[in-house]
Amino acid sequence: MQKPKILLVDDDPDLVRALRLRLRANNYEVTTASDGYAAIATAQKERPALIILDLGLPVGDGFVVLDRLQSMDTLAGVPVIVLSARDPQANEERALRAGASAFFQKPADNDELLNVIRLNIGAGTEPKTAWPS
Amino acid sequence: MDKTTRVLLIEDNPGDADLVRLRLIEGKSPVNVNCVNRLSDGLASLNVETPSVVLLDLNLPDSRGAETFRRVMEHSPHVPIVVLSGQDDEALAAKALHQGVQDYLVKGDISSKHLERAIRYAVERQGLLRALEIAQKTQIDFKNQFLSHVSHELRTPLTCIHQYVTLLLDGLAGAMAPEQTDHLKTVLKSVNQLHAMLRDLLEATRAESGKMRIEPRCIAIGELVQQAVAMLRPTAEEKKIGLEIGMDQRLPLVLADPDRVLEVLINLVDNAIKFTPAEGSIMVRANLVEADAGYVYISVSDTGRGISPEAKTLIFERLYQDADSIDNNRSGLGLGLFICREIVRLHEGRIWVTSEPGEGSTFTFTLPIYSLAKLLAPVIVHEERLRPALVLVRVELAPLSNPPQGNWKETWQQGLETLRRCVYLDKDLVLPPMGASGATETLFVVASTDLQRSGVMTTRTRELLERVPDLKNKCKITITTVPVELPSGKPGETLEQQVQNVASCVTEMILTSRERKLSHAGKVARETKSKRSTNNKEN
Repeated sequence: MQKPKILLVDDDPDLVRALRLRLRANNYEVTTASDGYAAIATAQKERPALIILDLGLPVGDGFVVLDRLQSMDTLAGVPVIVLSARDPQANEERALRAGASAFFQKPADNDELLNVIRLNIGAGTEPKTAWPS
Repeated sequence: MDKTTRVLLIEDNPGDADLVRLRLIEGKSPVNVNCVNRLSDGLASLNVETPSVVLLDLNLPDSRGAETFRRVMEHSPHVPIVVLSGQDDEALAAKALHQGVQDYLVKGDISSKHLERAIRYAVERQGLLRALEIAQKTQIDFKNQFLSHVSHELRTPLTCIHQYVTLLLDGLAGAMAPEQTDHLKTVLKSVNQLHAMLRDLLEATRAESGKMRIEPRCIAIGELVQQAVAMLRPTAEEKKIGLEIGMDQRLPLVLADPDRVLEVLINLVDNAIKFTPAEGSIMVRANLVEADAGYVYISVSDTGRGISPEAKTLIFERLYQDADSIDNNRSGLGLGLFICREIVRLHEGRIWVTSEPGEGSTFTFTLPIYSLAKLLAPVIVHEERLRPALVLVRVELAPLSNPPQGNWKETWQQGLETLRRCVYLDKDLVLPPMGASGATETLFVVASTDLQRSGVMTTRTRELLERVPDLKNKCKITITTVPVELPSGKPGETLEQQVQNVASCVTEMILTSRERKLSHAGKVARETKSKRSTNNKEN
């Protein structure tokens, strides 16, 4: 079975590395982008099942990306989870209005994040449990 | 720049007015005098133009004494005032200085040099004061902006640490020795503490700059107390501290933001645990107080070492740290109680502490009771009597997935809006949304109809709700109808009492319906929990 593909957009390479590891461990395929422009280009090319999006990005911030995604027939239906350090009071409502399906403030709880991913695109083929035996 | 001093002279005695005017004109600097003889005319003139200074007689036809300068100051807080007093009210004029008036002169004792200098100094001092105020405000704004920026910037590296620590702990970067796991758990604990501090910092900054918001709903405070206690019970048990709840049997619903109130409760109980020695006990109470009928009192008492009288007055201030607690390895920025106070203040409640050193402390806060009777009266009273039949319609919106998909709040609020369009404005009432326990949202309508005829209404309601695509796709809609038992009006009972009885009856019905739901939810939670612990054992 094909693993569901997630596009991870964040300009912090260290965080990207760690999140990629975690997502892969949960049996998702991960592709990444580190700015707004690359996010759109990669999304078009890779057709991810879901996008995890930071808001503060170079070359087109997260809101620009959300707007662009919504305007494209092929990508408008892809669920977007916003994962940002910004204040939810000022940004959550706006992100959800712009088409995001969930908003998490960094640092986010891993279980909650994975849970929302699962709800949107189903589990990766066989999720690993938290504690190895 | 125009160097002319513009004087507004408010003086009703023509002789005094002329004299002052003469002294002003005699002076060296150019001056422009506008003289009025009533306070109301003076205030009207202040509306039109702002003078350099107001010369003010305190006893005018339309105002006397301290009232006079207070009203001018209230009207134009930034205009300097020099009081013109007679010999007989010099004491009052002197008192005025303490309340913000710049200077006073005793009439009959005024030389032009004297007057000129008094005016110049008054203008200068007022200018400095204003500059200071502006500087202070700019400083606070800057500090708040800075703090909000800092708490945002600190989140980025903190997120990274959190992510890598959990990676290691979850065994995603290879197996770890038990000791290593132990150490990492300590790191994670510190990361979580840091995270909590950042949250508090942002919250306090918001409170100080007036940006904190609450969304009051109609909530059962008992549920929140139980929730907070359940969350903190493990921490209390770790320290062998008893944590009990004592509540009045039937508490009225309160109008409050459930998330925020939970925050206050958690903060107070958590503090109590921190300051109570092992084997101590903590009691959370919620009750009514006869002398203060509009509020529910919620209190947290501990058997800790208590709070000194000096600390009692300061404890709710921003950044206050009890000197004794610092060596106690206590974490926190001293913002918790400040945030609590701001949240309670936004609810128009009060918060305070009573304590005897060595005997423990009790923190109490109040929340306004939600008065159903007041809302119900216009709907259920018709032609000076109660309507013949009432039903309570319960609309349950249960999301199909847990957690709900998308913006659940927006979804159920669409339901609420739709519901409001389904009812007759003069006969039916959609109650304010209830605090939700879990994601399921329950909305209530009190409708003036009997059970038989309510069928038409529920069918129509269901149809309209299902027409909202968001609701249809995302949740299960359950509508149930129960007749409200109308109290048989005892002889001599006023209409007001009858409405009150109906309100109590409806409150009772809502609470019962929610309790059933709650005990069910509690059962599910227990089941999941026990399942989880079995899983752990298997691993």
